[in-house]
Amino acid sequence: MKRPNLASGTKGTRLNQAYLIQTAASAAAVAVLVGLAAWAKIAKPAAPLDEARARKLLSDDFPGRPVDDLWVAVDGKGALARSGATALVLCKMGDGYVCRQIPWAQALTASFRDGRITVNLADVGAPKAVIELAAWPPHKDLTA
Amino acid sequence: MKPLDPVALATPFFIVSIIAEILLARFGKAEARYEVKDTAVSLGMGLLSGSAGLLTAGAAAAASIWVYRFHLFNIPMTAVWAWIVVFLLEDLTYYGFHRFSHERRFWWAAHVNHHSSQHYNLSTALRQTWTGGIAGTWALWLPLAFLGFPPSMIAIQKGVSLVYQYWIHTEAIRRMPRWFEAVFNTPSHHRVHHARNPRYLDKNYAGILIVWDRMFGTFQPELDEEPCRYGLVKNLGTFNIVRVAFHEWIGIAGDVVRHPRHALGYIFGPPGWSHDGTRDTSASLKAQWEAGQETAEKLDVAA
Repeated sequence: MKRPNLASGTKGTRLNQAYLIQTAASAAAVAVLVGLAAWAKIAKPAAPLDEARARKLLSDDFPGRPVDDLWVAVDGKGALARSGATALVLCKMGDGYVCRQIPWAQALTASFRDGRITVNLADVGAPKAVIELAAWPPHKDLTA
Repeated sequence: MKPLDPVALATPFFIVSIIAEILLARFGKAEARYEVKDTAVSLGMGLLSGSAGLLTAGAAAAASIWVYRFHLFNIPMTAVWAWIVVFLLEDLTYYGFHRFSHERRFWWAAHVNHHSSQHYNLSTALRQTWTGGIAGTWALWLPLAFLGFPPSMIAIQKGVSLVYQYWIHTEAIRRMPRWFEAVFNTPSHHRVHHARNPRYLDKNYAGILIVWDRMFGTFQPELDEEPCRYGLVKNLGTFNIVRVAFHEWIGIAGDVVRHPRHALGYIFGPPGWSHDGTRDTSASLKAQWEAGQETAEKLDVAA
């Protein structure tokens, strides 16, 4: 029977221990740094969206795309725009914003409950957008 | 003897410098923005990237050692000239790797998470990939071993490059002296690289020397009149670290399943490529932006 190599086994154990200690120390450092960032409160200033800012953000993401209609969230944390047959969705993410486009028909059928529209963006990197609106769908689309 | 690991040696510096950047920003002495969840994702990605890298590090090291068996020249690790040459060749290799990682979706899937923060601070530097080893980009460094650079020498130089690139992830430093900006990658040059403004897309791939971008036509200086907007062309709508790490891979898989006849395009085409042209690539976004600029200029002239 082959005898176990005690020397290399000890070295391997030491390496494992060193790796675990290093990882645990790094995790602790990460926790301290995240705590420090929370304490510092140095995120980007976040004034609620108004129409002009919403249009600017949409034009940054969709250059040259006309905005036919725009609905800005009641709480200023998002917006939804119509551009031809497409809906442009803008929602707050941390201290920044995320934009996506979906078919307008899909936006019209998004669920609206308790003053919030939940839009399925069908994107693993941005699964859904929740936007506070006074009403949805817009009146003219209901009557059309 | 344990091989020199520049990244491990620099880790205390990483921690201390992030603390310094946060404190300087908190007391208004430097420009830096930190959002709590974004910071947690960046640092978490960095923490776990080391463990993820271990899964493929053995294969990469074994490949490098195997190729070195057939090396063309005997290059001594003790010679100064050898370190100068490996510095230049490794940095050129990094340029190629980095450009490749932005221009082809398969490799972009591994690199995208480094660009997924809407912030640009020292923690962003640590937002490292978990899937780089699987993407196989380490193979691009094998020719150096074939030339005759010992694998440990290549590994050390790669570590030096990674450590160099850490400090340039900051808004706290506006510009370095002109001679430095002309030769080296700097915070200003790399801010452009992380920007999502159409003008700045796919520029400044340099690791240490910006001269490669100047030589190969991918250099773009930072313009005071156009502040950088950081992140992705389609920013992420989640702080879920698993989604951040794998979203592009999942996107590729979904596209291949839905459009198997166009699988090669979806895997190896440029990011944003689609068989029906309904999505935007960097090139199409730039074209739209340039068309908008021309229209605005014509309106100015007419006025």
